[in-house]
Amino acid sequence: MSPLVLAFLVLALLTCGSALSMVWTKNLLHAALAMFLTMLGLAGLYVLAFADVLAVAHLLVYVGGVLILILFGIMLTNQTDAKTGKNHLMTRESNRLLPISLGLSFFLGLFWLFTKGPWVNNLPVTGDSKLKEVGLGLLTEYAFPFELAGVFLLIALIGATFVAKSHD
Amino acid sequence: MTDIPVIYFLWVSAFLFATGLSILLLKKNTIFVLMGIELILNAANLNLVAFSKNDPSLQGLYLGIFVLVVGVCEMAIALAIVLQVYRNYRAIEVDQFTSEY
Repeated sequence: MSPLVLAFLVLALLTCGSALSMVWTKNLLHAALAMFLTMLGLAGLYVLAFADVLAVAHLLVYVGGVLILILFGIMLTNQTDAKTGKNHLMTRESNRLLPISLGLSFFLGLFWLFTKGPWVNNLPVTGDSKLKEVGLGLLTEYAFPFELAGVFLLIALIGATFVAKSHD
Repeated sequence: MTDIPVIYFLWVSAFLFATGLSILLLKKNTIFVLMGIELILNAANLNLVAFSKNDPSLQGLYLGIFVLVVGVCEMAIALAIVLQVYRNYRAIEVDQFTSEY
């Protein structure tokens, strides 16, 4: 087994294991921490797919941005127990059987479909780091979508602050 | 240079999609449901990146970057809406958002 495949296996185990623990746990904060581990593993998988630019952006955005947003969301919507005055952050669940069996059948179906598919495995890999190509592409060929994404981000953030402020 | 077969990435992304779907259906807390949506988005992103590994024009990678931006926007807006809904209903679980409250 090549070291690359070994690294892939470790990262895939980290990603899948913490995603599974997100399904398993009822504690909202534990789920947020498990999501952090999932995103960490996913960034590693991006690196192994030679997409190091996206891996760094993913880490910055998810660990630095989305996770903080989620933690603030948990903090601002907490509900203390009326009797004991404690807050265990436990979420209620619907019946476990149906969602988990549906997810499992989706996974098995996709697994079967992907395994059956006629993938070509020995294509040439294009280079190591894509940093230069991506930088050039974002400023030449994909300049318009790139600017549009920036404007979209600005609109979304202004809209989010407007929605979140109190309208009394 | 040895290469990881693209099918491995597809298996991981199928698993992430299935777990995201399970979370979406299983949990009642709205923030938990949003986390499930993020998992599904990232499963799609992993597919794009895995296929652009062998693509000299890197189209999947560019689409992945834009998916990332849209995912962040969705999360910011969704959490703002959750906050506002919480202010009005004093509830965070999806089956409590009923009109006869």
